[in-house]
Amino acid sequence: MEVIESTINPQSKEYKENFSHYEKLVQNLKEKIGVAMQGGGKEAVKLHRSRNKLLARERIDTLLDPDTPFMEFNTLAAFGMYENKAPTAGIVTGIGIIHGREVMIVANDATVTGGTYYPITVKKHLRAQEIAMENNLPCIYLVDSGGAFLPMQDEVFPDREHFGRIFYNQAMMSSMKIPQIAVVMGSCTAGGAYVPAMSDETVIVKGTGTIFLGGPPLVKAATGEEVTSEELGGADVHCRESGVTDHYALDDHDAIRITKNIVENFNRPEKTHLDIKKPEEPAYDIKEIYGVLPKDPRKAFEVREIIARVVDGSRFHEFKALYGTTLVTGFARIMGYPVGILANNGVLFSESALKGTHFIEVCCQRKLPLVFLQNITGFMVGRKYEAGGIAKDGAKMVTAVTCAQVPKFTVIIGGSFGAGNYGMCGRAYGPRQLWMWPNARISVMGGQQAANVLLTVKRDQLWRKGIEMTKKEERELTDPILKKYEIEGNPYYSTARIWDDGVIDPVDTRLVLGLGISASLNASIPEWRPGVFRM
Amino acid sequence: MFINYEHNAHVYPVTVERRGSQFFITYDNNEYTVEASELKQGQLSIQLGDRLIKAVISGADDNKFVFIEGNVFRVKRIELTGRKQTEKKEGGLNSPISGTVVSVKAKEGKAVKKDDVILIIEAMKMEYLIRAPYDGIVKKIHFKVKDQIEIGEPTAEIEKEA
Repeated sequence: MEVIESTINPQSKEYKENFSHYEKLVQNLKEKIGVAMQGGGKEAVKLHRSRNKLLARERIDTLLDPDTPFMEFNTLAAFGMYENKAPTAGIVTGIGIIHGREVMIVANDATVTGGTYYPITVKKHLRAQEIAMENNLPCIYLVDSGGAFLPMQDEVFPDREHFGRIFYNQAMMSSMKIPQIAVVMGSCTAGGAYVPAMSDETVIVKGTGTIFLGGPPLVKAATGEEVTSEELGGADVHCRESGVTDHYALDDHDAIRITKNIVENFNRPEKTHLDIKKPEEPAYDIKEIYGVLPKDPRKAFEVREIIARVVDGSRFHEFKALYGTTLVTGFARIMGYPVGILANNGVLFSESALKGTHFIEVCCQRKLPLVFLQNITGFMVGRKYEAGGIAKDGAKMVTAVTCAQVPKFTVIIGGSFGAGNYGMCGRAYGPRQLWMWPNARISVMGGQQAANVLLTVKRDQLWRKGIEMTKKEERELTDPILKKYEIEGNPYYSTARIWDDGVIDPVDTRLVLGLGISASLNASIPEWRPGVFRM
Repeated sequence: MFINYEHNAHVYPVTVERRGSQFFITYDNNEYTVEASELKQGQLSIQLGDRLIKAVISGADDNKFVFIEGNVFRVKRIELTGRKQTEKKEGGLNSPISGTVVSVKAKEGKAVKKDDVILIIEAMKMEYLIRAPYDGIVKKIHFKVKDQIEIGEPTAEIEKEA
């Protein structure tokens, strides 16, 4: 395969400005993650340790095979929400490797409001289960949670995608032969008691692990019976009397040792075969991406410069290079895995959409994972394009993206606006994972465009009544909209709400995609069965 | 000259500039100055800093074996095709998109250098820069700020410098 020829000039003023601007964006990201990783803060951590318990991340580190990566999801969940009282939403989720195979880990962080479930905590737990289900990954729940966050019960309990769904998913996955393992390392109260109870195999730690539907205060109120938590639902009760748990651990380390033994006996089926080659670093420095991405998001950039820094050896077999040139498609390898890449290089026209559709079909026939590098301001608008049927051509691409059952991965490397988001495998189109770069922006349309649309509507309404708007009135209408779009289009607003799986440093893109593809091979790839394409 | 060499399945992008027997090589942001002379067919004497290296080279153009101090390196020069065709078409004076002219940078009658910005078109939240495809004198600019422009319309005329 040919190596992409890079034409950037790292000595230019523009490149250097872009680079230093981007370094700041990445530094800002790392600072935010650093703060979130501290969990509930020094006091809470001290209290947690005084109970002879490991922190959530220490538990994960001890559980995973030494020197293997842990791909964490949504470290910045709940960022800026709930008065910043729920860093990482009080739960750590991610894919790690135990006995050489990928598993999904869901670990409560009891230093954050006792590990209770805020609405975003529920969403994060469910997202982890969704990833496990799609990729056929065994689930290990390291439980240490007081259950639902009661003051927000209306947002965590009653609906379909709320607390109850956690147990529904456990039963569904168990029926799909995806092992469900719970390790009780703290409280498992009320609804939380069902996490171990619904699992295939469970471990409980003596002294700290407790499981009960109603805690001591509730029991006292209901029946007058006085009982300690250990007597009510400790390791001895559940291993010797109730049978709710299967393995008795002396402390966190012992529980982790037992859990590894459980995983060793999963007898997992072979992973799906792909034509894998030895991984190879790109021919160009990955960090040069910082200088390629323009400081001003309205400026375009050559996406092949990005592809050259993401794929193995910078080798790219481009498909239909001269047709529909605003979408770049082609074959490459990432960390040795073969992939099909779709990357935006401008607005989507009918031709670009048709090319994308054709390319997706080819990849699905060959069962190649798809990688979308999304930087899209939308499908082209205007009379000429509507008459040319851009809506139906865009629909073909959306149909192809939807029906593609190969593992799909999306990285938002710039803008994500309007229907372009759909065609390029936005969240709704079920990519196995969706990552954002710190420069990314996401909204239904640009803030300026939204403000103009609303202004035009308002002006016409008033005009019919014979009133004309003053410049000041116009600004009073548009300014709050511009501000709203700026705040809500921010990648941290998105990741806090789990519209993505995390914000990553562009330098880590190869690694993250490689791990994602590796994990996806735990599931089989179904045959290509598209819907009706409007011709 | 920009060259890609492949060795051991790894690609090394290298810039080489030759002045007489001196070669200025840039690789991985490091610059090297090398003095090389051919002793006889396929045998090179290379001066790199204070090191004198003797090398024997055999094999065809695109697949060479280089013997240096008892080690053999298989080096391949990678041809870059495919990309260049697409690049040729870029850089014209016709508008790549339907949109609004937001800024005119060049002046009629004035000289411009290759890649100077002539005007800027805004469409679909993005700015499109129309650049001079060659050095010359701006004869005519067909649009002014706030004008609507259609895809494919010529934006300006530049008389090539003789």
